[in-house]
Amino acid sequence: MVQSVKPIPSTWCPGCGDFGVLAAVKKAAAEVGVPAHEQVLVGGIGCSGGIHNFIEINGIHALHGRLLAQAIGVKLANPRLTVIAAGGDGDGYAIGMGHFMHAFKKNASILYVVMNNETYGLTKGQASPTSQIGFEGNIEHPFDAILTALSIPVPNFIARTFSGDPKGMTQVLAEAIRFNRANRGFAFVEDLSPCVTYNDTFKLWREKIVDVSKLPGYDASDRKAVFRLCLETMESGRIPVGVMHRPKAADPEAVALELKLLPDQEGPAVTDIALEHNRAAYDRLIKGVT
Amino acid sequence: MLIGGQGGDGTLTVSDLLGRYFRLKGLYVYTSRNVLSRIRGGHADASIRAAREPIAAMKSQVDLIVAFDSEAVDVGRPELAPDGTILYDSSVFRSDLPNAIGFPFATLAGGQLGAPIYKNTAAYGAISVMLGFDPALTRQVIESRFRRRSPEALEKNLKALEIGRKAAIDAGMEARGNVVDGEARDQVLTTGNQMVALGFVVGGGRFFAGYPITPATEIMEYLMRYLPPFHGVVRQAEDELAAINMVIGAAYAGARAMTSTSGPGLSLMTEGIGHAGTAELPIVVADCARVGPSTGEPTRHEQSDLSHLANLGHGEYPRFVLAPGTADDCFYLTIDALNLADKWRVPVLLLLDQALSQNTVTMSPVDLAQVRLDRGKLLSTEEFAKLEAYKYYQFAPDGISPHVPPGTPGAFAQVTGNEHDEWGHVSVNPVNRVKMMHKRMDKMVQARGDLPPPRLYGADQGRVGLIGFGSTWGPIREAQAQLDRRGIPTKFYQARTLYPVPTDTLRPFLDSVDVAYIIEHNFTGQFARLIREALPDHHAKLRSLVKFDGHSFRSPEIVARVTEG
Repeated sequence: MVQSVKPIPSTWCPGCGDFGVLAAVKKAAAEVGVPAHEQVLVGGIGCSGGIHNFIEINGIHALHGRLLAQAIGVKLANPRLTVIAAGGDGDGYAIGMGHFMHAFKKNASILYVVMNNETYGLTKGQASPTSQIGFEGNIEHPFDAILTALSIPVPNFIARTFSGDPKGMTQVLAEAIRFNRANRGFAFVEDLSPCVTYNDTFKLWREKIVDVSKLPGYDASDRKAVFRLCLETMESGRIPVGVMHRPKAADPEAVALELKLLPDQEGPAVTDIALEHNRAAYDRLIKGVT
Repeated sequence: MLIGGQGGDGTLTVSDLLGRYFRLKGLYVYTSRNVLSRIRGGHADASIRAAREPIAAMKSQVDLIVAFDSEAVDVGRPELAPDGTILYDSSVFRSDLPNAIGFPFATLAGGQLGAPIYKNTAAYGAISVMLGFDPALTRQVIESRFRRRSPEALEKNLKALEIGRKAAIDAGMEARGNVVDGEARDQVLTTGNQMVALGFVVGGGRFFAGYPITPATEIMEYLMRYLPPFHGVVRQAEDELAAINMVIGAAYAGARAMTSTSGPGLSLMTEGIGHAGTAELPIVVADCARVGPSTGEPTRHEQSDLSHLANLGHGEYPRFVLAPGTADDCFYLTIDALNLADKWRVPVLLLLDQALSQNTVTMSPVDLAQVRLDRGKLLSTEEFAKLEAYKYYQFAPDGISPHVPPGTPGAFAQVTGNEHDEWGHVSVNPVNRVKMMHKRMDKMVQARGDLPPPRLYGADQGRVGLIGFGSTWGPIREAQAQLDRRGIPTKFYQARTLYPVPTDTLRPFLDSVDVAYIIEHNFTGQFARLIREALPDHHAKLRSLVKFDGHSFRSPEIVARVTEG
């Protein structure tokens, strides 16, 4: 057995919500039965972005805000890999916003977990795109990723979880990973993951969360219905959690990007590039230049 | 010849038809376009040159101007040869110049064919008469160009050809010149961008992400056609930040990956290239330079990105900057770039310029027998299994760590843009930092012998040196011939590795001359500055010749500078 990279002790504060995410990602991947060497975990920059260091896994510590582009690059180069991107709200919704929006429309089968703590923890507690008005002098309105995700009419898997409910989170992540492994497209999970040092919202969020799946009229394949339920929940000062969109299995639109490009899933990273095996095709290509 | 008109007039069609004719005659062809950054309207012109010898530059004099608007005359006249001719569309404007011949091409085509756009082919017909073209070959050109379009297009263009021919014959314009036969029968007509795309595929490149930008876009467009049958992927990203990071992800996964861009996109990609540099991920970035900074002049020619490429990004990391000089060089150097990136685990930057990227040129077909792939220390599964430990950043005398792609059982690789230890874990240990910096930075020295050598041209006894890179190859080669005729033998060092500065070959070259002119398209003499910094002892010999008006050098400009001393 070759000795390979081992997890290192986490750098997170005791009690950090990200521990819940770490545990849930590990459990969910094990539950789905993904071999560890077939997983690639792409972390962003910020406290949450170091997550891959704490698991025995292939990992990329990406540039700030660019983890989705790198994760999609990995997936399209080798669709047989299970690719999970995980970062914070500043990483995803501020500096990475352009890539975030395009990930829904690209619809590559990767899982993106945003650990939302409504602050920039690593740089010591500045307001983030999801901060409430008044937090650290914030005068801008908080951004809501779930409403945004629901507004993009692509059959992605969309959910919000809470770090205080590790069981529920594991279940959702396992479903998201299955969705990816069935090449059904992009899965987005926002986890409410409090920063115990700069914005300890554990107690507040536990009181405020509402499981939309328990509300009358809930149907995970009905984007309009869930959007309305989320809005109504937010208007009453509560936070909606749960599976927000689960496309129907029969949705003909639900073809993931990697399948459109590589129907047999043999990707650029694993295909044979040896000159002698491609010579005839190259000769034809060269003859095409006139 | 210069053919000009309003954008959408189809000046490129005339240039294309003439190019096809010259090639049927066995001549070498070179064409360039002078367009504005807009889809339609505004003045646009195309230049075409044919010769019996290989060419990669425009002549300094124009023999024939074909003008569909008066601006074409204004643009072309300063360069018109004393015995040159202006052929113009008299249904658009009038010219009283003594050497101007007007035919109402648009009115003739509009009246007889119902659409003035056929004026292009009519003009081609008139030119064919004036230059004594073989009528059958002239017709063959129209057939080859329009046969695949539609039967109607072919029929109307053949009629337009006759309209133009008749007008010229009726005016007594027959055979004012003639076109000789050449020997260039095996040539293909291509561009640097097309050869980069072809080289990428043959070099095993299978993943490309980019964002449309002039003058680099054709690389992506060719690859959209070329790559899919090879399990390759081409993605147009939402911006250059995404493009470079998708390429980084694909490189991590084990694919040979590349992006192409120009100045403004390169600025955005700088962040990602630095990340690949410290994460030791093999990527290739083709920069098709245009006039900068900012949006600059998107369609015009410059070589002002070199300083940026040499110093790209914050912090320090190794990178190789390669510069092809001709279309065939674009093919082979793209493959070299892929090999070097893969072997040395560094970003490799391929610097083109607008003229090299987009001007069309005849060249001999590429030769697969000259192509080698080198995957460096990529381990097979069996080799991997024999390892005691798999460290993605393992220290090694040459700085290159053995590696396998993710997905290999038992192998876990963690990469990061943070400083890291051999395992890829974030580290701020000062001893580790120093070792890791040496691991990466020493590659710039270790790889010296691997980097593409210059191409040297000219007389051994020449005491005048010429140094250039990119598309200046064409005008410099012609300047050499002209200087030879004046009894000034020269030596030309075509640099193909620009950074690290190839001192091992530049030093003996400079030792062998009394004076060396560094010829480049930028204001500050960027390559000259790099050479002065690397070889300060040779400072007194170096002269800079720069041009930054958006247009390529013409050989007389180089001759004049050298003869002035």
